[in-house]
Amino acid sequence: MNIIARPGPRLFRLPPLRRIAQPWSSPRTLATHTRGGSSHSSTDYEVTDADIRTLASKHLHPLSLADLVKHGRPPLSEQSLLSSANFALSLLPIRLAHRLQALRNLPYIVVSNPNISKIYDTYIKSLSILLPYWHNAAQGRPIATLEEEIRFTNTLAQLVAQHTDTIPILARGFLECKRYISPAEVTRFLDEHLRARIGTRLVAEQHIALHFSSQPHWDPEASPTPCPEYPSFVGVIDTALRPATVVESCAGFVADICELRYGVRPLLYIDGQPDATFASVPMHLEYIVTEMLKNAFRATIENKSKEPVVVTIAPEPPLPETEILNIKGPDKEIGPFRNDAIRPLDDNAPGVTIRIRDRGGGIPPHVLPNIWSYSFTTFSDEDEMPGSSGSDGLHALSNAGSGVSSIAGLGYGLPLSRAYAEYFGGGIAVESLYRWGTDVYLRLKGIGKIDDKK
Amino acid sequence: MFSSTLRAASKRRGLAPSHRPILKRCSRCQSSANFMTNTPVKARNSPTWRPVSVLDEWVAKEARPISLRQLMVFGRSLTEARLISSANYVRTELPTRIAHRIRDMQQLPYVVVENPHIKDVYNLYYNAFDTFRKVKEIKTLDDNDRLCEIISDNLKKHLTVIPKLAMGIHECEGLFDAKEMDRFMNTILKSRISRRVIAEQHLSLSETYNSPHFSPGAKLSESDFIGEVFIKCNAKSVIESCAAATRKIARSTNAPDVKVPEIKIEGHLETSFPYILSHLEYIIGELLRNSIQAVIDWHGKHGHPEDEPPPIEVTIAEAPQHATIRISDRGGGIPRQELPYLWAFSKGPHSQQRLANLGRVPKMAATMQELHIEDDLGRADLKTPPYQSSLATLTSRPPDLRLGMGLPLSRVYAEYWAGNLDVHSLEGYGVDAFLQISRLGNKNEQVITRASMDAV
Repeated sequence: MNIIARPGPRLFRLPPLRRIAQPWSSPRTLATHTRGGSSHSSTDYEVTDADIRTLASKHLHPLSLADLVKHGRPPLSEQSLLSSANFALSLLPIRLAHRLQALRNLPYIVVSNPNISKIYDTYIKSLSILLPYWHNAAQGRPIATLEEEIRFTNTLAQLVAQHTDTIPILARGFLECKRYISPAEVTRFLDEHLRARIGTRLVAEQHIALHFSSQPHWDPEASPTPCPEYPSFVGVIDTALRPATVVESCAGFVADICELRYGVRPLLYIDGQPDATFASVPMHLEYIVTEMLKNAFRATIENKSKEPVVVTIAPEPPLPETEILNIKGPDKEIGPFRNDAIRPLDDNAPGVTIRIRDRGGGIPPHVLPNIWSYSFTTFSDEDEMPGSSGSDGLHALSNAGSGVSSIAGLGYGLPLSRAYAEYFGGGIAVESLYRWGTDVYLRLKGIGKIDDKK
Repeated sequence: MFSSTLRAASKRRGLAPSHRPILKRCSRCQSSANFMTNTPVKARNSPTWRPVSVLDEWVAKEARPISLRQLMVFGRSLTEARLISSANYVRTELPTRIAHRIRDMQQLPYVVVENPHIKDVYNLYYNAFDTFRKVKEIKTLDDNDRLCEIISDNLKKHLTVIPKLAMGIHECEGLFDAKEMDRFMNTILKSRISRRVIAEQHLSLSETYNSPHFSPGAKLSESDFIGEVFIKCNAKSVIESCAAATRKIARSTNAPDVKVPEIKIEGHLETSFPYILSHLEYIIGELLRNSIQAVIDWHGKHGHPEDEPPPIEVTIAEAPQHATIRISDRGGGIPRQELPYLWAFSKGPHSQQRLANLGRVPKMAATMQELHIEDDLGRADLKTPPYQSSLATLTSRPPDLRLGMGLPLSRVYAEYWAGNLDVHSLEGYGVDAFLQISRLGNKNEQVITRASMDAV
């Protein structure tokens, strides 16, 4: 039952999704289609204020895992694929417009900062690429052919690629604008922005993944067959995600860095129910677990502790039948699960709680109130040294984009991880026993309808 | 305020015609003023309409906060002058604080205060207020003795307040906004702690002063109490004694073949801090009680009867400004449907069961002696108060008596001394409870935080 993380290559095979980050260059592109959006309408279409206003006034659809899987399991039929494309199209411009609105409401001097304005321009550009599709759809011409769908998916891929570095750039920008905007306002903006970003990327990446895993769609007469490679995946969602596997591989990765940097390799044990599985987005879980383990391992090393980090995996028991199915009897909502939220995947998988317990000496009381903020009030040269617990979060954030794999410079890992965890109704809680260690509780929900977070 | 209107009204009636201008504006007031008298309102049950001006006077006063540190410093070198001064502080503080709580209760919805249990508490409070406000200034030790008698008498009478309030709350489920209810309960319980600390501390000091081997100004050794405050509560020994007591209770109430989990303690075992022992015992007792019962239940359902149930792990961590005690069990966690009600006094859908249980809490000291459990709390070698400790009846009740307020009440106590109580559930696995204790008595004590807690 106790599994020690072994050194070595990552055990967890990532879905091909990661390659999306590169601009579209797959040989599967139709020969007649020119690469990039340049031949299309990106430079032709100018986004107007009216566009932004109209779109921003529309309701922001709260995304649920059920939405993402409702088009079916890949490989999708042509119709499903088109439906998925149109669904993405119906959501994305509105989301971009809301973000633009939020950016525009920041103080003038902040948005004038070159970094912030770069992000602003990127959003405008993305919206301008999508608007032609949106207007076509509004005029009764949704994406109706595979050709259009390929072009659209290509566009989405570009969108995702263009926005990859948003966070470090924004961070750098806010840092430079420290004098003109209060930390509380920055936190408020970033909390909202990052959460919205998670949703937007998810919609885009989900469609792209569904597209990729639906190869047989090229032949319209082919009947869908189960995808042999990743049978449990629906786009970016793994319906049989085993958290223990993610923990093991992330632990290996983080332990590698520790060995490189400190010459020490902390141990990790997994207990509870390591074989538990649930439905979630592997990328998100990986990000969160990596950040948590970075914190835990670093603290363990700095505290010179020989004790292992213990990860406990506790799958939630399913709710008793009588509480979920309210088909008969009074029409009342009696629990967090609703019948209509359980779509193609019948198994109403409850969530999972993961506890990460370390003996790293805990979090000092003066730091504790700031752990959830993108704190940038403790700016000092200490940032260069590994593990300065008072390190400037945003400063570190802006260094992160440089690609250096460092274990120090934390401070944004927690708020971002929390954004991911809360996105589908979960959460993170941190308890510190100062001078002993820290416990982190990560709650993740499975399939179900989320509370309206946005 | 009703009473000021009364007074104004009676003034108006006596005004000379030259002062009429005021009346011209509120001619309506004038006519209705004639109806405002002190005769009781004839309602269904005719609640007594007491003259409220006296209460108003005391409500207008502010409570003077006191901290653990002050309690200790005050008691360290006890002299007659200090004792008298303490007596006068108590004499005025108690009625002031009680007055505030009475006013709070008066503002609850009528239907709530008419509930027999809440009404009992209201009357208890009002009578206590009446008694204390009439006490004249203390000038001699004899005066102090009389005051102490009054105090212990009241402490005894008010032993039933917590169960009564809880019963009343459960019965009033749905009649009153749950959040408001919780806020009210929190305030009244915090206040109760303050008053009892002040009262019990004074009684204890008086007793020390009057004891045969006491000499004024003598230095007290570290293993002693300063009044009710145990200077050096060693976390490990308190946990061990609570563990022994709760395991014994669990042993006696479960079937003989049921295995009771062990309690393992690790961490900084030398940790100690000044605290009021009965409070600490109550909180830890409640947490251990929850854990033990959960482990027994869970293990009974999911484990092998021959196997030992997983032990409960207690970790003590000591830092300069506070000490943290973590109690980790593998009792299956808390069902997520119950989580929203965890810290609330009103339990929502589970109210009815709690209600039935509350009626079974032994209220009188006599009943407790029958259970013979109090001795096992390990207080034999420590100081035993001459008066009935307010928490004793609760601390030693049988574990199957689920009152549904262990957690919220423990949190009130924990927060009272600038600490914290939090619980994390891993549903399907177990629960971690975190009790954070502020190490008052050290130079870094935050009197401001304490003051705000205590001024209630």
